Amino acid sequence: MMKNIFMKNILLGLVVIVTISACDSKKKPSADEISGVLDSVKIEEPSISEDVISDIIQQIPSPLEISTLLKESDTKYDKSYLNDPEKISDYNSNYKKALALGVYGTDLGYTNIYEQNQDALFYLNSIKSLADDLSIGQFFDIGTIKRLATNSKNLDSLLLITTKNFNNINNYLQEQRRSNLSILLLSGGWLEALYIVARVSEKNPDNEQLKETIAEQKIIMDNVVLLMSFYVESDPNIKQLSGKFSKLQEEFNKIEIKTVYREPTYEVVDGMLVVKDNSTSEIIMDDKNIESIRNQVYEIRENIIN
Amino acid sequence: MKKLIFALGIILLTTSISQSYAQCNTEKHVEACIPKLQSGFTFLKSYNIDGQGGAKNKVEYSYVFTKGATYQIRICNDGEGTDGIVLTLYDSNRNSVASTKYEGSTLSSIAFPCQVTGIYYLTFTFEGSSNYCGGSVLGFKR
Repeated sequence: MMKNIFMKNILLGLVVIVTISACDSKKKPSADEISGVLDSVKIEEPSISEDVISDIIQQIPSPLEISTLLKESDTKYDKSYLNDPEKISDYNSNYKKALALGVYGTDLGYTNIYEQNQDALFYLNSIKSLADDLSIGQFFDIGTIKRLATNSKNLDSLLLITTKNFNNINNYLQEQRRSNLSILLLSGGWLEALYIVARVSEKNPDNEQLKETIAEQKIIMDNVVLLMSFYVESDPNIKQLSGKFSKLQEEFNKIEIKTVYREPTYEVVDGMLVVKDNSTSEIIMDDKNIESIRNQVYEIRENIIN
Repeated sequence: MKKLIFALGIILLTTSISQSYAQCNTEKHVEACIPKLQSGFTFLKSYNIDGQGGAKNKVEYSYVFTKGATYQIRICNDGEGTDGIVLTLYDSNRNSVASTKYEGSTLSSIAFPCQVTGIYYLTFTFEGSSNYCGGSVLGFKR
């Protein structure tokens, strides 16, 4: 009898331990922890898994790549391409704030690449303010960032720290099951990069590389529209934005990218495999396509920042 | 009853083992990896490589590479080698573009001057790995 009671107690203890252990391993930060700053409209989770959304988000290239291309192609820094950092008070919903954060993130990258540290500081202040409003300000150690921004020798460190911060924010928002904000941040950032390259291309109409860069955004456009499609049923703001992006996508669809795969060749240099990519691609487009894309980008961007 | 307790004991043991594998500190490897990008490359992304003690045989990420840019992908973990972590790069049609397993040796980085803009897949696999744990970083230059 005593033995049976003893065994039952052990059994009960084990069940409790296993249950607690299982619950603990699934413990995630509650989305409600940041709900105080979220819009009053509760966004339902999309039917697609967060992992799939996260995978697609991961694919979207950094706007820094476009800023670097612009600098390498000897185009001059032009502040007038960027959104005014003083406009943050205009952004009064989390939808607007997340989009603006993406826009300012790209603008900051552009100022960084061109080593315009004084302008970078204005953008950093706006970014910090918007990030605080969205409860993601903890990712910005503004003291360190400002210290780096005041010395052009620290450009690499500044780029690194801001890139890491934006990557961390995206990961955090996904963990918090707030991928809708992450998507807005990325969409705002990507559109701003496209806007800047479109403006530079308009000013340099003979630069074919810039036109190709615009055309190649077709691939990213498809991803952005796909990401938004997961939220059109649950988020009226994203639904509205998605409509505009889908119209832009129609214009991109008129561009054809033909690729020919050829086996790469290799050599090892200092312990690193250096690939010679022998594949080629050809972009079939005309100036009318680019002009139409440019005009739509200007219109969407105007709508986002105002 | 004894069998039931034994079974629960096994579950408990398995749970604690899987938790100990979950301690793969990919962040540490990523942090160590960033300064190892070659001079001139700008950091873009970091990737966690957690094979969960061997429970996963593949970890995959994707990224849109742009024509005209050169990308460097680097693998890091404890020690000098790659602990059996192999990176294979595939293009959007799943053609193999490059692998760190090359001519009998396992290298820790790839430089890829991209000629075709598109989605590329970074696939990390484990071949004779002891820790199934590492980090990787992606940088670019033009």
